[in-house]
Amino acid sequence: MSPRNRRILFSLAVLVWAGIMLYFHGSGRIARYLAPDFRPLVLLGGLGLAVLGLFNLLTAGQDADCGHDHCGPDDGHDHESSDLPPLVAFLLMVLPISLSVAWTRDEFSAASLSRKGLYDSPAELSATLLSNLPPLTRELIAERYPATPDGYHPLSLIELFFATGDREMQGVLEGLKVETEGRWMEERDNNPDGTRKRLYRLFLTCCIADSRAIPIILEYDKTPPEYGENDWVKVAGTMHFQLENGGIQPVLHVRRTLAADPPYEESFLRKNHLLPR
Amino acid sequence: MSADARQDFALAFLSILFEGAPFILLGTLISGFLDVYLPAGAMDRLLPKNRPLAVVVAGLLGAVFPVCECAVVPVIRRLVGKGLPVSCALTYMLAAPIVNPITALSTWKAFQGQQAGLMTSSRLLLGFLIAVAVGLIASRLSLGTILKAKFAASLAETPPAAETREKPACGSHEQDDTCCGQDPHHDNSCCGRDHPHPAADNRVVAAFRSALKDFVDVGVYFTVGVAITALFNTGIAPGAEWLDSLAQNPTAAPAALMALAFVLSLCSTSDAFIAATLAKFSWAAKLAFLTFGPMMDVKLIFLYQSVFSKRFILWLGIGLFFAIGGLSILWQNLIVSHFIP
Repeated sequence: MSPRNRRILFSLAVLVWAGIMLYFHGSGRIARYLAPDFRPLVLLGGLGLAVLGLFNLLTAGQDADCGHDHCGPDDGHDHESSDLPPLVAFLLMVLPISLSVAWTRDEFSAASLSRKGLYDSPAELSATLLSNLPPLTRELIAERYPATPDGYHPLSLIELFFATGDREMQGVLEGLKVETEGRWMEERDNNPDGTRKRLYRLFLTCCIADSRAIPIILEYDKTPPEYGENDWVKVAGTMHFQLENGGIQPVLHVRRTLAADPPYEESFLRKNHLLPR
Repeated sequence: MSADARQDFALAFLSILFEGAPFILLGTLISGFLDVYLPAGAMDRLLPKNRPLAVVVAGLLGAVFPVCECAVVPVIRRLVGKGLPVSCALTYMLAAPIVNPITALSTWKAFQGQQAGLMTSSRLLLGFLIAVAVGLIASRLSLGTILKAKFAASLAETPPAAETREKPACGSHEQDDTCCGQDPHHDNSCCGRDHPHPAADNRVVAAFRSALKDFVDVGVYFTVGVAITALFNTGIAPGAEWLDSLAQNPTAAPAALMALAFVLSLCSTSDAFIAATLAKFSWAAKLAFLTFGPMMDVKLIFLYQSVFSKRFILWLGIGLFFAIGGLSILWQNLIVSHFIP
């Protein structure tokens, strides 16, 4: 392949990356993939790649020299030769990213979520995350999270989840009427009557690949309502911490379930893991 | 692959790729411009005459001339050809991909919430120590032991370092604006070739071309690495459960991740984003992954063969594996365990 055609091919590959990065940033879908501090980098990276690709595309046929000698004997120093045949490099650059854009639904399936802790014991999560939470008392709850007209305090799922690893928080939250939101999922274990579901959100450090599921168990008196896997719901009920399978589990005895819109930040974030109110 | 598996793979793949791509771009733009604008003798002139001291300084040159591991091999090949001592070149080659501001920044960003400062400083320090140690050992070996026979023979025919050091660099157009004593706009007889020196705008074009080539070279390996990581991350890859079972084993985990780094052949400017997703693995294993990968991987084996003898590459690989693995475990037990609950 001629150097000019190789430059055109590589420029197009870079422009494909640029277009995809700029599209995900511009459409807002990037919020489901990366923590906020990485999102501007995707915009800058996309713009930078667009400049790199366009510049090389427009100057592909222009003569240029590197400005220094290639003197050494057997000097393999070459600014443009690549490790792989250009067409192979182009396909490797373009195919996986294009297929991924076609395949992604911006969320994990249940199988993948189970690898990310959806069914793990809350006690297995690191103490580092727990230590980031501010102290919680009934007075603080009443002040910061005033009850809804029907008496439920709107608490975030992460507070209910992490209370499982802290006896003091358990004492504060045990028996409290709370309202929270998250994504709907089947309960896999300890559910002989089919009266249980699982509610979760993801805790995101940098990107969705390094996220962890933050789940609680939903307990219904009778058959739970029908929602699809990963649907957003808002549930209200009474919080309990029960000893099951050799560990404490956060269980919400549900009185009310409503379909909900996803919040702007769907995942809990490292820097601000309490829900914006 | 089922629809669910495709969906999981795509989500993990895109998220890691979006996270790392801007850092690859930054690294390749800098290396592209360095490639074209950095005078050949600039690095040489910064080194002290004392050999051990020169090796130590060479380990820090990446902070001034940041180059990733893909770009560093052609650079050191050229510098050795220009008279840079092999021990210094080897130290720079191993250290520069790690001990440089871009890698430090990307490691720090990737490990936010996971003792980022500690991981970044540990990575830089371990990379520097290992590279200097290799350089000092190499300074006691003969050129024939280290270098490829053909390349060593070609060096014997070129002028000694001192002579080349005195000459202004070809691309620098310093002082009298000559190259090797010749008029730069006519015959470059030093090269034995006749090529005109380009105008400044042509060098910008050359720099962007070099950056494009670097980005595609690194991007290809990064794409393959991210794809494999996404398959393991979502449990699609066969052996993902087995790899998980090694994750907390104090000895097997660093060995497993060094083997993974070897296979993935990631760029040092973006590998931290992969390591940060390996949540189940020990701290020592991640440090070993981040230090071993930029020094020895599949693609580097091929690149190293353009400079070094096969026997030297083999012993270098074995030595790095045990030294980095052992020091990472020691580092975790002696120091890091005091910081991580």
